[in-house]
Amino acid sequence: MTRKRSEQINLNRMRKHFSPKPLAIGIASVFLAACADNRQEATIYTNAQDCVNDNPEQAQICESAYREALAEAERTGPKYNSQQDCESEFGPNQCQHVQRNSGSFFMPFMAGYMISNLLSPNRYQYQPMFTSYSPYSSYRYRWIGAGGYDYGDLRKRNYKVRPDAFKPKPAVTRTIKRGGFGSTVRAKSSWGSKSGTKGGWGG
Amino acid sequence: MFRMPVEPRKNWQQKAKDFGFTFHSMYGEPYWDESAYYQFTLQQIEKDLEDPSEEIHQMCLQVVDKVVNDEELLNAFKIPEPFWQPVKDSWKNHDPSLYSRLDFAYDGSGPAKLFENNADTPTSLYESGFWQWLWLQDLVDNNQLSRHSDQFNSLQEKLIRRLDEIAKHYHTDQIHFACCHDTIEDRGTVQYLQDCAAESGIEAPFVFIEDIGIGESGRFTNLKNQEISTLFKLYPWEFMQREEFADFVVSSDTTWIEPLWKSILSNKALMPMLWKMFTGHPNLLPSFFENELHLCDHQKIVKKPIFSREGANVSIFDKGETVLEAQGPYGEEGFIYQAFHPLPKFDDNYTLIGSWLVDDKAAGISVREDTSLITQDMSRYLPHIILG
Repeated sequence: MTRKRSEQINLNRMRKHFSPKPLAIGIASVFLAACADNRQEATIYTNAQDCVNDNPEQAQICESAYREALAEAERTGPKYNSQQDCESEFGPNQCQHVQRNSGSFFMPFMAGYMISNLLSPNRYQYQPMFTSYSPYSSYRYRWIGAGGYDYGDLRKRNYKVRPDAFKPKPAVTRTIKRGGFGSTVRAKSSWGSKSGTKGGWGG
Repeated sequence: MFRMPVEPRKNWQQKAKDFGFTFHSMYGEPYWDESAYYQFTLQQIEKDLEDPSEEIHQMCLQVVDKVVNDEELLNAFKIPEPFWQPVKDSWKNHDPSLYSRLDFAYDGSGPAKLFENNADTPTSLYESGFWQWLWLQDLVDNNQLSRHSDQFNSLQEKLIRRLDEIAKHYHTDQIHFACCHDTIEDRGTVQYLQDCAAESGIEAPFVFIEDIGIGESGRFTNLKNQEISTLFKLYPWEFMQREEFADFVVSSDTTWIEPLWKSILSNKALMPMLWKMFTGHPNLLPSFFENELHLCDHQKIVKKPIFSREGANVSIFDKGETVLEAQGPYGEEGFIYQAFHPLPKFDDNYTLIGSWLVDDKAAGISVREDTSLITQDMSRYLPHIILG
């Protein structure tokens, strides 16, 4: 007879807190992560020439990956309303002004690009890298991915990274305005006698 | 169908904590109530609830098909004019829907009667798809219930599969999930859908509705200024279509879950429209638009706002006199009228059945009890089983 209910449910996914604290599980997962090493070699170059100097045979890949990383930097890099906001995070003269049809913003220059699988023309991977020279920033002298991931010290060029380091990052834009949704809720909530219920705008 | 008292699990509150079910009690009132359960036969489930739910869903889709092509009806459904074409486009494009909940009055015999369709932002999803499933599992393991007990509840399985289908349909591996600030119930529902999405391998970031921004690129953004390409919103279309960012709903090129055409179903105008198109259908109650009230020959009628949530602003009239009224902030868009049909009473409780659909497939039921004839958001949720 077929059951009318879900065959099984992944309880680990559904669990939000553990009681008591699962020290053993914590150790096991660290152990597993150390074993299952699928990380790959990646190198950071500051520009295409830097890459070519290191890999004269792969000059073409160095250059096309650089161009692609630049485009990716503009798409996914952090964006600011003012030069001051951008420079306080990335340092003086580290930000460029970008003009688009609908407005303009400031974003840091790409400081380098991370590249992997350089030897295979169809499988090479790249990500734009940023860095900060601002004394106010925790990113100072660090290699930073577009999503804010801190890879390590600026002097270090060779890394072992997980494959998802090269997954395309979500596009980032300058937000012009927030709060354009939710006004009906504010209006309905101010309606008095409903306080004391568990609330919600579903039904 | 009957109501059966049962011993609550000793550790259920700790368990609720472990699994993040934070809204089982609110302000000292129980919401999740496992001191009893409802028992159905397989025949009651399949013949009286499952089959009619799928049939009514198909009828509802016929209503959508008619309304999107008729300006007079779009008006009667209070869809703002700038959305007429976008709603029609989303319907013509077959934009996939995720889920809905049909609310029925049903007492174990005779046809279940449809009260309304929550097709846009239904909640009590977590309690239904996961928590009552776990309850049954535990009671069978404790020998409190027969090993032959089952439950009409394939919600979680179907949600995981459906989210995967939707992501593939739109060629995306990321769906943003959103609800409003300060509603732990809605947040719980959305977290549940995030968990289901993650189970299908979809990246599922969260953003509050009020925190959504509009970017220089013309697309909506989350708090990290990342563009939102696909958004599940537990926030009603009828609100969004009237708020400041309404202008960007289409131009932002966002993929919406639920799709825009669902705004025709999550609308009480659906009820008179169903009655018009399928007059006399055994699962439907006679329902009328305000200007057709003269067609209604029932003494006892229920007046419902075209847009409302959780029973707010619903009133019951008998021979023109108000006999019961629920307060609320809704009603400015007008009302519809439905022949009164009492909820069945089990002990001292009025019982309402929510019948879930994932896309067009019946996926389970939820049982809620209220001490009033109008089920509101402080009703209690009880688990159910199928046996026999």
